[in-house]
Amino acid sequence: MKPILLNDCSREVSLLLADLLDEKALLLNERFENHKRLDDYRMIVLETRSDQKRVLNQISKMRYACNFRNIPIIVMRGREDHFPVQHYIMAGATEVLSLTDPPAACRQILQGYLIPDRRPLDQEMEYLKPFIENTVSVIQTMTSGTAEFREMYFSNAFRIFGDISGIIGLSGDAEGTVVLTFYWALAWRIISKMMQVQEEAINAELIHDGVGELINMISGSTKKNFVGTHYHYELSLPTVVVGSGHQIGHPEGASIAILIFDMDNSSFAVHVCLKPMKGTS
Amino acid sequence: MKVIIADDSQVMRTIIEKVVRPLGYEAMHACNGQEVLSLLEKGCEGIDLILMDWNMPVLNGLEALNLIRKSNQFSSIPVLMVSTESEDDKIRQALDAGASGYISKPFTSETLAAVISKAQEKRGV
Repeated sequence: MKPILLNDCSREVSLLLADLLDEKALLLNERFENHKRLDDYRMIVLETRSDQKRVLNQISKMRYACNFRNIPIIVMRGREDHFPVQHYIMAGATEVLSLTDPPAACRQILQGYLIPDRRPLDQEMEYLKPFIENTVSVIQTMTSGTAEFREMYFSNAFRIFGDISGIIGLSGDAEGTVVLTFYWALAWRIISKMMQVQEEAINAELIHDGVGELINMISGSTKKNFVGTHYHYELSLPTVVVGSGHQIGHPEGASIAILIFDMDNSSFAVHVCLKPMKGTS
Repeated sequence: MKVIIADDSQVMRTIIEKVVRPLGYEAMHACNGQEVLSLLEKGCEGIDLILMDWNMPVLNGLEALNLIRKSNQFSSIPVLMVSTESEDDKIRQALDAGASGYISKPFTSETLAAVISKAQEKRGV
């Protein structure tokens, strides 16, 4: 079973968590190092004392180290911490609890976050597989590089933790959104490869432009696979969003599939939210 | 030889220009269909080819193609449609509107160069 990382937590918090969480959960109390990958933890807990800014910075770094995995980052606030909760959430935290919160409520919330993300069903693979294949193909054709599909999961958490996202709205027989999210350094590298120029010759405007074009190509080439099915859609013009932890809205009741790809020692994610409309064949 | 590269993406215009230059084309850029028409009307003479993206703001590629084919002055200029959409009915729609060829994105440099050469041959260049 994957462990839960208690990041430099006090004895009080460690004991509380041991009591609140399942006895079988493996708790590791250690200090997060910036270079450490956090993909293999079930949950991360940080404790705040009077050092909120340092904690905010650490949450951001941890979120990057999660490499697009939906790992809950829980902030446990000390009794004297009155810092606005929203700041922790904006930095990448999933939930903010306090030592003064009722233990029963904390237990329920924490146990909820330990429920694993849902894996796709066979019928869902029907529309996800073309997105995987076309993402790999578009990246290969445009950059001569190799993107390898790593894994996928479904999430109802609408937050995307990347630096830049290309977003395209889908409408027609099926509705939804497709989002392509990169960390800044990989986006930079990919766009310079697409344009066949040195990375120094690339600016932010070209990166925005190129990421918009990539999501356009991924959605456009995948569309062909859905001709004659209830997953067929029409494309809107792409939009690009820049900034860590931005939120994307999706149609009510829709599940969001997060597809993670590895490339050049980094990762990127494609979020697919596709819902066939009622009454279509 | 002169080519108008019409695409709302600067990245795509740059990629396409890198393919057409070695083929002997001098490239002019347009961000939408309206800019293509402006370039033509401004008297940019001797345009030998237009590479036009379909999905562009202001005036999309298909609308611009329709206007070009209806004009007396520019109707004979070959227009290659470039699009992320590769469904048969889209290709047919573009060809029916008078496109000289259709290129689906993503494309390799070799594919684009081959489609351009084919259009040149048709025109007897």
